[in-house]
Amino acid sequence: MAGLEFRGVSKAFGAVRALDDVSFAVAAGDAHAVVGENGAGKSTLLKILAGVVAPDRGEIRWQDERLRLTGPRDALERGIGLVSQETLAFPNLTVSGNIFAGREITRRGGRLDEPAMHARTAALLEDLHVPVTAETPMDRLPAAYAQLVQVARALAFDCRVIVLDEPTTSLTDAEVDHLFGVLARLKAAGVTIIFVSHRLPEVFRLCDRITVLRDGHFVTTVDRATTTPDDIVRAMVGREPPTRLAGSGEATYGTPLLAIRDFTRRPAFEYVSLDVHAGEVVGLFGLVGSGRSELLETIFGLHRAQAGTMAIDGKPIVVHSAVEAARAGLALVPEDRQRQGLFANLNVRHNLALPRAAQRRVRAISARDEQNLAHRIVADLSIKTKSIDAMPGELSGGNQQKVATGKWIATEPRVLLLDEPTKGVDVGAKFELHAIIRQQVRAGMACLMASSDLPEVLAIADRILVMRQGGLRGEITGAMATEENVMRLAAHEAHSIAGLAGSTTPGAHA
Amino acid sequence: MKRLLRAPETSTVAILVLEILFFTWYLWPEAGRPHPFLNLGNFLLIFKYSAIYGIAAIGAAIVIISGGLDLAPGAVIALTTVVTGYFFVQAHWSLGPSVVAGLMVGLASGGLSAWLVVRVGLTPFIATLGVMGIARGAAYVVTQARYYDLSAQLPRDWHVAGVSIDWAGPIIMIALAAVFQILMGRFQWGRSIFAVGGNETAAIFSGIRVGRIKTSAYLIAGLTAAVSGVVLAIVQGQGKADLANGYELDIIASAVVGGTSLTGGRGSVVGAVLGALIFGVLRNALPQIPGATFYDRLIVGVAVIGIVVMDRTIAKRASKGH
Repeated sequence: MAGLEFRGVSKAFGAVRALDDVSFAVAAGDAHAVVGENGAGKSTLLKILAGVVAPDRGEIRWQDERLRLTGPRDALERGIGLVSQETLAFPNLTVSGNIFAGREITRRGGRLDEPAMHARTAALLEDLHVPVTAETPMDRLPAAYAQLVQVARALAFDCRVIVLDEPTTSLTDAEVDHLFGVLARLKAAGVTIIFVSHRLPEVFRLCDRITVLRDGHFVTTVDRATTTPDDIVRAMVGREPPTRLAGSGEATYGTPLLAIRDFTRRPAFEYVSLDVHAGEVVGLFGLVGSGRSELLETIFGLHRAQAGTMAIDGKPIVVHSAVEAARAGLALVPEDRQRQGLFANLNVRHNLALPRAAQRRVRAISARDEQNLAHRIVADLSIKTKSIDAMPGELSGGNQQKVATGKWIATEPRVLLLDEPTKGVDVGAKFELHAIIRQQVRAGMACLMASSDLPEVLAIADRILVMRQGGLRGEITGAMATEENVMRLAAHEAHSIAGLAGSTTPGAHA
Repeated sequence: MKRLLRAPETSTVAILVLEILFFTWYLWPEAGRPHPFLNLGNFLLIFKYSAIYGIAAIGAAIVIISGGLDLAPGAVIALTTVVTGYFFVQAHWSLGPSVVAGLMVGLASGGLSAWLVVRVGLTPFIATLGVMGIARGAAYVVTQARYYDLSAQLPRDWHVAGVSIDWAGPIIMIALAAVFQILMGRFQWGRSIFAVGGNETAAIFSGIRVGRIKTSAYLIAGLTAAVSGVVLAIVQGQGKADLANGYELDIIASAVVGGTSLTGGRGSVVGAVLGALIFGVLRNALPQIPGATFYDRLIVGVAVIGIVVMDRTIAKRASKGH
């Protein structure tokens, strides 16, 4: 059946070719996944489909007719609804106000017909089993309901195509089940679903067909029945998954360099105890909201632990601030390099020199010291920049991330805390960063790395600690470290490690 | 009743009532003497002077709710008095057309702010800071250190339909507040203002014409400032370049004290008018307390902070109780 078709769609932003001649078809009534790494072009494709940006070349066809979208409103009116991440809600409006924003039901003269909108909202919410009223303020809804309100919005406009952009990033397991139940019913009612996600288990659970994009190009479209997650990963990455860098026996298991006991900061995490030894990378895996970032930030002194103790190289210590942490030999490369990691207004040299100067109580800055340091870090981490005086904004995402990492390596830490160390960087830079991390560890550093990128954790961590709902749920090492085992610990109700050993059949998550 | 208690304006009304009760008690006269604060004539005075920035506060609240900011209203008020005065006194136009010319000042400055914010892409602070300078500067250029004396040519003890012209400001303020409260709460346009202020990106994705909505907000802010200017020109009987100096801050403070959030997306025009009255009462009562005159600005400054903190605390408690 003729559904939605992309024909030779291209879009460039400046010099960056976000989409290059992408063509594929989505059958009407199908659930169709679009997957790819960060920067593969998924979000540009969505924006074109939602009418937010216009393609440079190519066309989109819906039921054999060319769609020329003039804007988001036009897309909605033609039956294409975008369920975006929750950041696209209006926190200051009611649920009903959110559903009808931009297309309110009105009486004469633009007067709002609130009763009609409330009634329609109530009907939609009931249909989606969302137990809130139309007049509930949006900022009081839990994330899952906020997400479903966006679905309700698409339904309110009788959309025949619903596009979901990473809809499950902030949902719990039960909430994902609820959302998927709703989507299954919509699909049964003939709605075409386009599902964009980096979570392959969810893709395999929901979708009939899967399209892979890589670096702005169409790679392949495959039937779920004839493929495996490994095939998809290979298609996304464009090469064989890298060999495991970890477990090379470099760790020295004596006194741990970092030891925390019963660390607690409610509601983020409780009773977390862990050791990190010199020469090892400990992966801290968990879904968004599991408390990983808060744990790292608390270790680094940005928050106070309500209970628990910490020791560095066997010496008990309490850190009250980041600078104390840095002086104690800790370093944290935060998750969001734009907001937390880099100073966009300072050049690469100043960025690289800053934490070290704070750590060493440097008062007067010596330009020569700064230059020497910057040249050394740029060379060590092979940061591609035209000069050490370039601004961070002139660098690619991967090289920005290297600067954000390098400024802390410059402090010569004993314990390196990494929060999503390769978030939003391209594949090549990712492998380089992995090599840098392993290299630092080989030199005797201890590394605790939080990541929700499972292949990454599997690739470079010697041990994997799984965090869920603010607590450690298990430790996985060696041969037990498979995607299924880690995912099960991260996402499901408590299982014992022993219980896991017997149930490593692939596809259990489908 | 529950709905009334939850209305955003309720706490502002409560503050105003408490304030009036306090000054009524504090300024209670000795037996046999008239109350210096609690009397009809004094309340008219409060209304009359509050209206001058209260009217402009309506537009300021709308701009702030839409996620913007307008620093220009004080200067626009001054330029409006000057332009109205120029045509009425210098060019010998009749009052009606002179007033219309004055109102055009508001549309022009609002339009300029909107163009700078929407088309040129300046931040509202910078754009309206510039417009403020342009408007104030234009007023000085037109007057050349003179001023226009409107009072000489306005009727003495002027009554329209049996009502003193003194009531014009308060009546216009209440009427505009009512009209815009309804437009903001019950009409698509108002809902779009809230949506743009709440989340601009989401508004774009929802097909709201964000540029037009912002433009309408700045135009209304310019126009209400110009109405304030006309009222001031008639009440004061002057068109003068240095009038309404620093009013922009009183106007913004009125909106904020009235529950409008500077981050956008939340607020009320009735609240802004109530905020103007809160300051009007303070300004009226403080000089009647011996020795308090010098503390006037200080007390107003403390009051702004105190009221907003109080309001936020109440709001937090209310949302927790939910």
